Amino acid sequence: MSEQKYWNPVLETLPQEKLRQLQLKKFQKIFKWAYDHSKFHRRLYNQAGIKPEDIISFADIARVPTVEKSMMRDIQRKDPFPYGDALCVPLEEVTVFRQTSGTTGQPVYQPDTWQDWEWWMECWSYILWAQGYRPRDRVFIPFGYNIFVAFWAGHYAAEKIGCEVIPGGVLDTKARILKIQELKATAMMGTPTYILGMAETARMKMNIDPSELTINKITCAGECGASIPSTKKRLEEAWGAKVFDHAGATEIGAWSFECQDQPGGMHVNEAFFLVEIADVETGEIIAEPGRRGKMIITALDRQAQPCVRFDSKDVIEWSAEACSCGRTSRLIKGGVVGRADDITKVKGVLLAPSAIEEVVRNIDGLGDEYEVIVERIDDADRIKLRVEVLPEAQDQCRLIEGELADQLRLKTNLRYDLEICGCETLPRYEVKAKRFKDLRHKPKED
Amino acid sequence: MVPSDLNEIDAEIRLMKRSAEALSLLGKDFPAINRNVARILASIKMLEINISDLIELDSES
Repeated sequence: MSEQKYWNPVLETLPQEKLRQLQLKKFQKIFKWAYDHSKFHRRLYNQAGIKPEDIISFADIARVPTVEKSMMRDIQRKDPFPYGDALCVPLEEVTVFRQTSGTTGQPVYQPDTWQDWEWWMECWSYILWAQGYRPRDRVFIPFGYNIFVAFWAGHYAAEKIGCEVIPGGVLDTKARILKIQELKATAMMGTPTYILGMAETARMKMNIDPSELTINKITCAGECGASIPSTKKRLEEAWGAKVFDHAGATEIGAWSFECQDQPGGMHVNEAFFLVEIADVETGEIIAEPGRRGKMIITALDRQAQPCVRFDSKDVIEWSAEACSCGRTSRLIKGGVVGRADDITKVKGVLLAPSAIEEVVRNIDGLGDEYEVIVERIDDADRIKLRVEVLPEAQDQCRLIEGELADQLRLKTNLRYDLEICGCETLPRYEVKAKRFKDLRHKPKED
Repeated sequence: MVPSDLNEIDAEIRLMKRSAEALSLLGKDFPAINRNVARILASIKMLEINISDLIELDSES
């Protein structure tokens, strides 16, 4: 008997038209749930003059006010402690606490019921199955198992699929590498930054070539790196493994994934999420492929703290292509290309930090780390880019610097003050990296 | 393999849900029953999301 390709052969191959009908029906249900059970949502929708019975079509959905992270922070100053009045279930039904990483400010708390947690695992099961995880896999998870959702649901979904899961919890990086070697793990999950850092540690501090270990697939999340071609290439070459991207968020869920066919984008799990793309300036919903905007997303089945038209600020665009894998869900081209918060004007030109990463990691002789600092000096924007040269390329610094400057000008239309550093001089990050620093709006110290 | 009779699968899911709900009532003051049933019901909800929601949509159209 041939192995089933899809986790759900019905939903994953549903014609788009049917999928849209399902989304509309599920949106009506979750909107009513939020309206009936959350004081916050009822207030928001009453102020906008929208009631559950008004949602008849997708045009009606577009009129539903969006929710921003800052609103969630305000809510959590209200009762019931600590979640506030977006909570839709009695406190005693909350079984799982997580919080956002606080990258953009005060962390947001996220309550889930056991049913929500089952739903998280289900979303991740779609991801892992599409990426080729099967019961024969031995999955190593080098993650801190803490208050952040990160790979918790990945862990339980891998168990649900039938994989053998090794929690890499409190081990340090070297111990994790040794455990992978000892147990012949076949798969791994982590942020691109950490997975690259592990490879560097193996090579430079342990004299182990990670590509000779037994890892054959890696699922990345938490940063856009695995969808940036040069970063994906470095990850795959370092580990001799296929690297798959996935995007999710604490307040949203695990909403998209790259499949084994790797079509240059990620599938949106459209049976579980409604993704809309809004023009950053006008808010107009973008239906056609090829135009970037920010993602407005609804988790169609999450109940304790619903995610209804959440303004995620992730910048994405629809792909015009269907995927060869046969899944009918739409693709977002090139994955999440950045965050509306991070894409900023420098010298009047729009700059996405991911474009700099693509250039740096595409140049042989440069290490994986880099740092971008934008400052205003004498009323002019200046961008400093610090990179590391690998020991074997120290005698080619001039050539590398020239190539870097040319590629940056070509890909970003900007000039940079380049600083070529020695190996291992830039900061290393365990989870999410903070390589882009915009100091222009920082108050000056006396 | 695509399941040929989704209606039959949906009927079994409904049956499981009814059994679990009945068990939950019987074990109301019996934590080892009602907390395990709560988890079973959460799993059954995933079956509904995967299959029954679609059947419901078809039956309405």
